[in-house]
Amino acid sequence: MTVTIMIVDDSKLARIVAGKAIGALRPDWVRVEASNAQEALQLVSEQQIDVAVLDFNMPGQDGLELAADLRKSYPNMPIAIITANIQDEVISRARAVNATFVNKPLTEDGMSGFLEGAALRLKQARR
Amino acid sequence: MSEVGRSDRIEDDGIELRDRLSAEFSRLKSDIRDAEQRLHLTLDAAGATGTWEWDITNKILIGDARFAALTLQDPTELARGVSTSKFFANIAAEDQKRVRLAVAGILAGAEMFSKDYRLLKGDGTMRWVHAKGRAILSENDEPLKFVGDLVDITEQKRIQEQLRIAQSAGAIGTFEHATGFGTVTVSEQFCQLLGLHPTRILPVSTVNQLVHQDDRPIIEPILPEEPKPDSNIEFRITRADTGEQRWLSRRGEYVRDLSAPGLRYIGVAYDVTASKLNEERLRRLNEGLSESVKERTRDRDRIWQNSRDMLAVTDTGGRILDANPAWTGVLNIEISDLLGKRVSELAWLDDAGLVAAGFANANLEGGAAFDSRMEHVDGTPRWVSWTASREADAIYLYGRHITVEKEQETALREAEAQLRQSQKMEAVGQLTGGIAHDFNNMLTGIMGALDIIKRRLAAGRLEGVDRFMDAATVSAQRAAGLTHRLLAFSRRQPLDRKPTDVRQLILGMRELFDRSLGEQLRLLVQPSPDCWAAMTDANQLENALLNLAINARDAMPGGGQLSIETHNLALVEGDVPGLNIQGKLDFVAIKVRDTGVGMSADVLEKVFEPFFTTKPIGQGTGLGLSMVYGFAQQSGGAVKIRSKPGQGTEIPVSAA
Amino acid sequence: MTGATISLDELERDALTEVVNIGVSRAASSLRKMVKRQVLLSVPSVEIVTQAAAASLIGQRESENLVAVKQEFEGAFSGRALLIFPETKSLELARAVMGDEATDDQVLEIESEALAETGNVILNNCLGTMANMLKQSLKMSLPEIIRGNGEHLFARTSDANKSALVLFLYINFSVQDRNIRGYIAMLMDLPSMAALKILIAGFIDRVTEDVG
Repeated sequence: MTVTIMIVDDSKLARIVAGKAIGALRPDWVRVEASNAQEALQLVSEQQIDVAVLDFNMPGQDGLELAADLRKSYPNMPIAIITANIQDEVISRARAVNATFVNKPLTEDGMSGFLEGAALRLKQARR
Repeated sequence: MSEVGRSDRIEDDGIELRDRLSAEFSRLKSDIRDAEQRLHLTLDAAGATGTWEWDITNKILIGDARFAALTLQDPTELARGVSTSKFFANIAAEDQKRVRLAVAGILAGAEMFSKDYRLLKGDGTMRWVHAKGRAILSENDEPLKFVGDLVDITEQKRIQEQLRIAQSAGAIGTFEHATGFGTVTVSEQFCQLLGLHPTRILPVSTVNQLVHQDDRPIIEPILPEEPKPDSNIEFRITRADTGEQRWLSRRGEYVRDLSAPGLRYIGVAYDVTASKLNEERLRRLNEGLSESVKERTRDRDRIWQNSRDMLAVTDTGGRILDANPAWTGVLNIEISDLLGKRVSELAWLDDAGLVAAGFANANLEGGAAFDSRMEHVDGTPRWVSWTASREADAIYLYGRHITVEKEQETALREAEAQLRQSQKMEAVGQLTGGIAHDFNNMLTGIMGALDIIKRRLAAGRLEGVDRFMDAATVSAQRAAGLTHRLLAFSRRQPLDRKPTDVRQLILGMRELFDRSLGEQLRLLVQPSPDCWAAMTDANQLENALLNLAINARDAMPGGGQLSIETHNLALVEGDVPGLNIQGKLDFVAIKVRDTGVGMSADVLEKVFEPFFTTKPIGQGTGLGLSMVYGFAQQSGGAVKIRSKPGQGTEIPVSAA
Repeated sequence: MTGATISLDELERDALTEVVNIGVSRAASSLRKMVKRQVLLSVPSVEIVTQAAAASLIGQRESENLVAVKQEFEGAFSGRALLIFPETKSLELARAVMGDEATDDQVLEIESEALAETGNVILNNCLGTMANMLKQSLKMSLPEIIRGNGEHLFARTSDANKSALVLFLYINFSVQDRNIRGYIAMLMDLPSMAALKILIAGFIDRVTEDVG
């Protein structure tokens, strides 16, 4: 079964970079994009989203708030907060909603840990 | 051999061995000391570098022998690895915290470590070192190792300080540019030279932008292939702060960059505006000389054309060679009609001789100044004040048109004469009151005497008749004398300065004074017996004194005393303020003093003003004292007044 | 230091410079990852000046028109951080982060975005690190692109108190072989020098006790 991963970031470049990294590591996964929290929630209501990768700094609802929302409806969804804002507070808030913290700028190495973990969890969940 | 001998020998061997070992030990110690000495000497030589490696994960510090020596530590231990705290061994107390802070930065993620600090030397003195290090990061940007090197820069520090002083003193700026970089490292002085805010790093464009577009930039875009020295380049900049243009000069060198591929340019720049300006000034001066000559000629032409004063150039005979347009303005004669004519020919007929004489003077003495009338084309005269000066074969003539002034002068003189006349008349008027009385007395005396003679003759008695006839004659003579004087007074006479016997004059006026003053006043006429003669107009002096006497009389309505004295004064320059004497001059001072009501300060101020009077209307013209003043001045003297209300007045008049 | 009164002693200044150093190293590392090239940093310049002086300092150093990514932050201390490029360089940067395989058109199309994101990454990494060092949390705004000259970039949107003191930070960086040059400038309001001194003192204590 295909895995659908949602990339949420207000920056097109960031989405491209994330897409590239994910595409290199998991070429078989389907990627969908949203440019803000509202769009993201819309997408989630419309289709099956398995993994979410969220930017923190966004207009409107920020990534952590979106993560909290998603967590409520999807307690097991692997979620990553991808941000350059490496403040301790941000990191601990990410952990609090059970999201992985990945530092920007994004590299394949940086993503690989999260993606592996996500893949594993999905497999377990589907069994 | 005895056993004793052998044990002795063994003992001897032992001692020998001990001695030998001890000697070798000393030698070794000495060798080590020498080696240490050599090492220290090597370290003291500039450029000795020690390296370290700080393993962050395992908290171990490793250093090489030179690092050990620089930090006064055991090289063997350092090679094996010591506690990381040993990194700070023997750092000067004042620098400890700074260095710790910088290392902490590395441990927290900073990339670069670059610090200068002091290390203790074996002899207790300090050395300056520069430590340069960097962090080696894991893939997760975690610092794994902190590595770097340490080098003695004591000498460099000294030179740097000297350089800094020299830079500030000599206004030299230094700069360094690594090829390909968009920025250049600069010194504070460099920034100051360009008028930029002091900073360490500047963009290349900011620096180059200040350079004049026709000059070579400071940082050259095109680089040589190989390291080489660069020649002296001069260029103009516009200072960033004041906009002032300055000339700078730079020179430098291309060197191989050790830390990066490519070349590095190390340069110095300094201000050469002063010497450049001198160059410029000299050049322009030479150029400008020819220009300024042209300018001056143009200026002179303009003056000639536009002057309202008459300018002419004549030959030594007075014939006009050139005249400016002002001649036409004043005399309404065309310039073409002037050329070739003698100036004396153009003069008013009566003054022709004067003009000719003036030119003759100019020829003889080099210059002359005279006023003459010139004939206007309409046949009327014009007064001109001439200055002529002779130079080589020409006479340069300058004439100022003064007709109006002359007329004004004449009018003024007329007015003055009239004034004097009216003043005289006034004085006369003053006198007539009292004098009419005298005349009456004299006439009565005559008529009386004649009456008696008539009666005696009618009675046939002749005795005493000649006595009465004498009396009548004397009275008549007196009256005639008075009349004479009055007539002389009223005659218009210009100021006629002649040596005058002042004493005689005053005594002679006694009668006049008596008459004018009336019985209620006591008169003291006391010219000093040795009174000098004065160069003055006798008429005017009488007039003046009479005026003063009359004023005195009016100031004493209830009676009093009038005294007239004389003094001889030999004055030099500065003796009397207000009296302008060149060198020294002898004066006769005549003092007229009364015991009358006196004058207040503000009256005193105005007392010499013409027409100023404190007398009621109808009494006096107010011209008296001003005439006295004017007269005194014309006599080369002065008049002063000393008066206080209630204390009377004293008026010394002096004549030279 | 220029202009205004200096209220930090030498050690405090060193410490502040170190905090900045750490933040900027992080930023440089981020930029390095984005452009995949060597990035060279200058020694950070830290000055306390008036607002007006800061604007003119930038103006003096740059004569071209500038493009900047600006982020406002607030918390224990507030201010603005800017990633500034001369306008002519911004396209180069966009290309560098897009990768060489992107076409010219593609680069042009998202030049602004590329700048904004680059700025976002660099500034957030820098500021976030600094906040961590000083154990304070900062709230960051969204990145904003502004173009203009020095004065324009540093003008305050709210009260324009030209004589207010600011901490002016300036770090030059250049990307070799890419002819990209720019700098990070930070203006930190100083309503309370005392508060900053306390934060710095805390930093000094924390880091020096672990060392050596």
